[in-house]
Amino acid sequence: MSKKIGLLAIAVLLSAAACGGGGKAAAPKSGASSAVTKGGTLTVLAVSDFDHLDPARNWTMPAIMFGTRLLYRTLVTFKAGSSEIVPDLATDLGTSEDGGKTWKFTLKDGLKYEDGTPVKAADIKHNVERSMAPDISGGPDYAQRLLVGGTEYKGPYGGRHLASVEAPDDKTIIFRLKRAAGEFPYTVTLPTFSPVPEAKDTKVEYDNRPFSSGPYKIEGYERGKELVLTRNEHWDQGTDPVRLALPDKIHVKQGQDKDTITDRLIASSGEDATSVPWGSAGPQSLSKILPNPQAKERLFTGPTGCTSTLVFNLNKKPLDNPKVRQAIYSAIDKESVQTAMGGPNMADIATAYLPPAMTDGTTQDVFQIPPTGDVAKAKALLAEAGVATPLKLKLTASTGSSTPVEVSIQESLKKIGIEVEINPVDASVYYDTIGDQGKADELATYGWCPDYPNGSSFLPPLFDGRSVKQTGNSGNVAFFKDPAIDKKIDEIYAITDPAASKKAWRDLDAQIMQQLPQAPLYLEKRGYITGKDVVGAVNHPVWAAQLDYAVIGVKKSS
Amino acid sequence: MIVYALRRLAAIALILLVICAITFAIFYLLPDDPALDACGKSCTTERLADVRHAMGLDQPVLAQFVSYLTGIFAGRTLGTSGLECAAPCFGYSWQYASPVWDLLLDRLGVSASLAAGAAVLWLVVGVVLGIMAALRKGSLLDRGIVLSALATTSAPVYLIAALLIYFVILQGELLPFPDYQPVLDNPAAWAASLLLPWITLAALYAAMYIRLTRASMIETMAEPYIRTARAKGLPERTVVVKHGLRSTMTPILTIFGIDLGGLLAGAMITETMFGLPGLGKLTFDAIGKSDQPVVLGVTLLAALFITLANLVVDLLYGVIDPRVRYT
Repeated sequence: MSKKIGLLAIAVLLSAAACGGGGKAAAPKSGASSAVTKGGTLTVLAVSDFDHLDPARNWTMPAIMFGTRLLYRTLVTFKAGSSEIVPDLATDLGTSEDGGKTWKFTLKDGLKYEDGTPVKAADIKHNVERSMAPDISGGPDYAQRLLVGGTEYKGPYGGRHLASVEAPDDKTIIFRLKRAAGEFPYTVTLPTFSPVPEAKDTKVEYDNRPFSSGPYKIEGYERGKELVLTRNEHWDQGTDPVRLALPDKIHVKQGQDKDTITDRLIASSGEDATSVPWGSAGPQSLSKILPNPQAKERLFTGPTGCTSTLVFNLNKKPLDNPKVRQAIYSAIDKESVQTAMGGPNMADIATAYLPPAMTDGTTQDVFQIPPTGDVAKAKALLAEAGVATPLKLKLTASTGSSTPVEVSIQESLKKIGIEVEINPVDASVYYDTIGDQGKADELATYGWCPDYPNGSSFLPPLFDGRSVKQTGNSGNVAFFKDPAIDKKIDEIYAITDPAASKKAWRDLDAQIMQQLPQAPLYLEKRGYITGKDVVGAVNHPVWAAQLDYAVIGVKKSS
Repeated sequence: MIVYALRRLAAIALILLVICAITFAIFYLLPDDPALDACGKSCTTERLADVRHAMGLDQPVLAQFVSYLTGIFAGRTLGTSGLECAAPCFGYSWQYASPVWDLLLDRLGVSASLAAGAAVLWLVVGVVLGIMAALRKGSLLDRGIVLSALATTSAPVYLIAALLIYFVILQGELLPFPDYQPVLDNPAAWAASLLLPWITLAALYAAMYIRLTRASMIETMAEPYIRTARAKGLPERTVVVKHGLRSTMTPILTIFGIDLGGLLAGAMITETMFGLPGLGKLTFDAIGKSDQPVVLGVTLLAALFITLANLVVDLLYGVIDPRVRYT
């Protein structure tokens, strides 16, 4: 049994014990009189503050995990350490009566806020509405894009309400969408679909004190300094299929030095024994952790769910020719790219756009190119395309990212007579540059992390030609337009059967790969080292491999 | 002296206004757009315009600047969000959802504690060792002190901090990792949490002060009036402390004022390494997140401290050296 499976087993045991009414679930460890119990304080060491904890504004994956696991529940959520969805506030995964354009959810009984008042459907409607107010900006925009009238709606603060979200009674909420959305049960895992009572809405300042419907409430929050969570006594574990809420208290200490955090967790003395890092270990930290067997034992690594790519600007010649794109793809030594990323501990090689979390752990490989590349095939494809070498191409690289990856690509393409000039662009304007049809170079390094593990959150943003604009493109930075692909996307949106939908997205992935508007390079992984008295640690595949705070706890010696 | 002080205060106000205008202009010219940052990942042009309007960033830059200045004295309402920012309003951090002034006040205690403790340490160590080295010029003690000072000056502050963390906290387990407590809550915990940061900063500055004191003291002790004092039969302690040190302190006090003033606005590396939530760490995070109102606020505060410290030092010259006259 691997370490992580073992810990998952502990979590399952704990869950079973808790559901059975037992307050204490023993997890004996050979040679030690210690037990896993509810209680203790889990310390989280963070470099900086959360971007946002307001559920209407929270749109970074680890912070979404933190918020939805601890402070506010959503209609649907993910199982511990899994990309499988389960009902959370709702009784089921939602029902749709008109081919996926209208979705209805019913709230469970016994759902309460931290003050003991009941959670009502109108509170979820309020949060969905406030997420569209310009004052409360920065959050996921799925509600705005999907709901009828969402694009024009400016939030509830002027007394205006969005008719396409209905709360006919305290238990029922209905969403009317612009298009069929078979993926909507995944969409409502986002914090936009958690409850915020209108009476507790402090608008911009709600970010400093979200009102809890989860297992913990905020005892103190000094932004950039610390966040202290204590138990929400009104949270009922009987209504919650996922969260164990093991520690009595969670203390997030912000403003710590990144390297010092790793050193402290390796030493794991005093309070650090019950601590976890907020940020993942970079290559430098891994070089300290991996040679240390005790520290390595406490390193939890998982895939982020993101796919990193090399983008071809299809507006530029000769990249408008699929054979040239395929030649470049064939020439890339992905093992070298992987090494540039920090080796197999930091990245896996990608051969498709959709990450394995969306394809039941399997990977597609349309072109079957060896990981080290196929130079002969690449040269033949270039010749077939009638491209004379040497060919000069520019590759935009962000000054804030890993330039060894760009250098690795440069070296690979040199072998087939393509001279790549790396064009470093400041990180603050990188995405503006590559998303601007007038400024983008021939090549750029890019990556996409879905908001939930469903093809709709991955392939349409990257390849729906209808989204391409002159400037400000995000996702479709290859400026790829194919009406046949767009039509196929619309067809898959309407599939409400999860298995059929998954297969359809996977097939579309292969179909787009044939045209290769972007070349998949690697699947980033992240590792987190925990203190020696932390139990139940497991990476979550949906939230950028962050440790799952639904099941994590601390060991108490007896 | 009062007229002199008032004139200097007026000059400080003018300097702050100029710094404010320049910093404001720089932020306006930067490619970073706070509205775009706030707008989110897939921001549309229409949404961006709405967000910019809500934040009040759609106004001409001059109007924004005037509004900023007015807010310092009279407070203001921010954008269309209805957020009230009471005077003194140094802008609003959209990142922290808080008036900048509140953030500055909140962090000032940490930075002031760090700066004050370190300053006492480096001033005492620096001046005492500097005098000892000067009085025994050329001796083994002098060479030892000078060499140590040189080595410490060469060591970057992050190296000193990293060594202290490694040997004292992680390996030696002599102290827990600093967990800042306000002095009024628990003075012992306050001192314990700042001990290593004080030593880190003091090690850096003390080395400079040793060299400065030594050089100044050697020069002073060679002055004819010192020889006269000795010829008059004054005890050596009186000669050194009353006549030598007093004169030596003038250049030291000048540099001390500037150093302390600058440090009050935060010691970025030390605060970051030890996880101290001071103004330096606030600035570090604000730069990383393009939180321009906070950066502007800290810049103004730093300028205020440095200019005020200079004024205090200039006024103290008269106390140290009665020959000084204010004109």
